Amino acid sequence: MSVLARSVGNAFRNKVRSGAVVVILAVAIGLALSMLVANQAVADRITSLKASVGNNLTVNPAGSRGGQGGGEPLTTADVSTAQSVAHVGSVNGALTLRLSSSGTAAASATAQGGGQSGGPGGRAADGTTSLVSAVDPGTLGNRASGSTASNSSATATSGASGGTGAGNTAARAGFSIPIEATGINGSVNAAGAAINIISGAALSDFAGTSAQALVGSTLAAKNSLTVGSTFTVNDRTMTVAGIFDAGTAFDNNAIYLPLVAAQTLTGQTGEISTMSVVVDSIDNVDATKTALASALDSTRVDVTAGSANLDSAIGSLGSVQNISLIGFIAALGTAGLIVLLIMIMVVRERRREIGALKAIGASNRSIGVQFVIEALVLVVMGSVAGAVIASFSSNSIVGALVSSNTSTTTAAGSGRRAALGAAGQAAGQAVGGGTRFQGSGRGAFAGASQLIGTVSTSVGWQTLVLGVVGILVIAALGALIPALLTAKIRPIEVLRGE
Amino acid sequence: MLEVKDVVKAFKSGDHTIKPVNGVTFSVGQGTFAAILGKSGSGKSTLLSLLGALDKATSGDVLVDEVNISKLPDAKLTAYRRDDIGFVFQQYNLIPNLSAKENVMLPMEFAGVSRAERSVRAAELLNQVELTEDMHDRKANRLSGGQQQRVSIARALANRPKLILADEPTGNLDDETGELIIELLRSLSHEKNTTILVVTHDQALTGKTDRKFRLARGKITEITAS
Ligand SMILES: Nc1ncnc2c1ncn2[C@@H]1O[C@H](COP(=O)(O)OP(=O)(O)OP(=O)(O)O)[C@@H](O)[C@H]1O
Ligand SMILES: [Mg+2]
Repeated sequence: MSVLARSVGNAFRNKVRSGAVVVILAVAIGLALSMLVANQAVADRITSLKASVGNNLTVNPAGSRGGQGGGEPLTTADVSTAQSVAHVGSVNGALTLRLSSSGTAAASATAQGGGQSGGPGGRAADGTTSLVSAVDPGTLGNRASGSTASNSSATATSGASGGTGAGNTAARAGFSIPIEATGINGSVNAAGAAINIISGAALSDFAGTSAQALVGSTLAAKNSLTVGSTFTVNDRTMTVAGIFDAGTAFDNNAIYLPLVAAQTLTGQTGEISTMSVVVDSIDNVDATKTALASALDSTRVDVTAGSANLDSAIGSLGSVQNISLIGFIAALGTAGLIVLLIMIMVVRERRREIGALKAIGASNRSIGVQFVIEALVLVVMGSVAGAVIASFSSNSIVGALVSSNTSTTTAAGSGRRAALGAAGQAAGQAVGGGTRFQGSGRGAFAGASQLIGTVSTSVGWQTLVLGVVGILVIAALGALIPALLTAKIRPIEVLRGE
Repeated sequence: MLEVKDVVKAFKSGDHTIKPVNGVTFSVGQGTFAAILGKSGSGKSTLLSLLGALDKATSGDVLVDEVNISKLPDAKLTAYRRDDIGFVFQQYNLIPNLSAKENVMLPMEFAGVSRAERSVRAAELLNQVELTEDMHDRKANRLSGGQQQRVSIARALANRPKLILADEPTGNLDDETGELIIELLRSLSHEKNTTILVVTHDQALTGKTDRKFRLARGKITEITAS
């Protein structure tokens, strides 16, 4: 009969109680492990998201997002300023323009003279083009163009002395999604990514008089353009140098122009709307971000790593990471507390027996060891059951945590959220606090959750082993206090009644 | 050699203190078989607990082979209880979920005796107190009172102590089995030179002892054959 065998035997002395303790421990430990797995999975995802950004920074005028918002435009002078900041490898300035199809513009041009019809969001077009948009405005587009379009058409039709009814229909039929034109200075787009040219060649003439252009595949198809075909932007005839594929129908409804030509054509000389900066090494990204902001005057520009979506994706994943860490620690503490309380109870119950052991010559140490082992037996059983629970539940817990923090309006999102409700409540009860894991990133963009995707948990055995070792350490600490209490029990207790 | 010098044990109960042991002095030589008599509640168990280092005396000294156990540090006391003392408790105090044999092996385990040796000696001791083989592996809480008492005696003998303190060792035994235990203790004291102190009401047992003491009102007096 060794200490070990005796301790294992003692752990099963009160089978009902031990069974209940193991079940409670399994829930707490399962939760702790799930939280740990979630934490690791999210950390991995953050790393890969950050790596996907690589060492790119984006500079926008302060207060703008894409083509929206206000602020003062960036200039080519800012490009050279950015170039001189330490660790900056290359800087690409780009000018984003909206071109309306000249068919639409013509109707209002006579009345307004400006040749600029309203676009979605109220932003005026920067110019016109002979190209016809490949994206049908549809119900959404027409609704978005809404009042501005009919207002301007009202002016137009009254000037043209037509019937109001007819004018309205004409304006509605004439409205189309504007075509995005981006002025670039090389072979990369505004975000600093290479342009995927599927036929023809990249832009090579970057002079102000250049007539080269790259056309998106769907736009080219809609307008029957091939390499060498021509179209107009404002009054300049452009030649298709290449056709590119950006992946989506919307992104392919666009053209690229040489930057200076784009500036000249639209009278925005020296202006650019965004700069993409490549930092020499990924480790310097944060420092360079700060340096750029101060060099360019941080009240005037926003410097972001990657896209705003990516920032919010990382932000919400970060909060998931924090929640799961807190959950892990809380569940771990709970497991430790359960062990502590149950072992204190056991020690009190066996005072007399401990006295007898001491009276026949047991040392404090051997009795303490016996109680620690007894506690560990319970914890090991709880850990095994908990690991099983975790391997089944961690995926849904991670999914629930992530989706609750990057809420989208999709059905999938709310389905996941419902799952969280259950998981969160179970968690809350087990941990003893009522906190639902919800929170900060509710308003994040759908784009952010797209970026996050599904954070999958591969229940890495290293993670589980790490978690179990952590739990054993906590439990051993929980068992140590009761074990130390046994040292205070004197042998004379053997003569005392219960 | 056991020497007890002016030992006092006081308990506080409520606002007054009681002294079941109040200035006890006596000594017995090595290998003596002695009985302590006294009415219920006279302090016999209390005195034994002081001699067995289960409790500390309020004042006075207990010397075992010239070593004052009242002044020993805790670690030495553990070794003293383990190696030098065999205690038979009035309530037996076996470990209920261990078998009879495992209970007897326990003190030897604490003393670092090898497993095989422990097992052999435990079986031997249980046979000596006439606990049949089929009882050896029975859990202590499944044994009768008398069987538990005999296991308790076997456990006290396990580490071949030089002093055995037995509180009513025949209290639960029939005459025949009691006789057997008395003979066992007597032979230990006379052949193995073990000092044995028994607390008893058993006339048969008292009759076999070398010396008899009476504890009354906290004092001890030797009963001399008149
Ligand atoms: N821890 C204690 N606290 C207070 N009083 C105690 C304590 N232990 C023993 N006593 C008292 O000391 C007295 C002697 O008790 P003890 O157990 O030594 O008697 P005893 O002679 O062994 O009696 P019995 O023959 O019935 O076993 C009793 O009055 C008892 O109530
Ligand atoms: Mg007594």
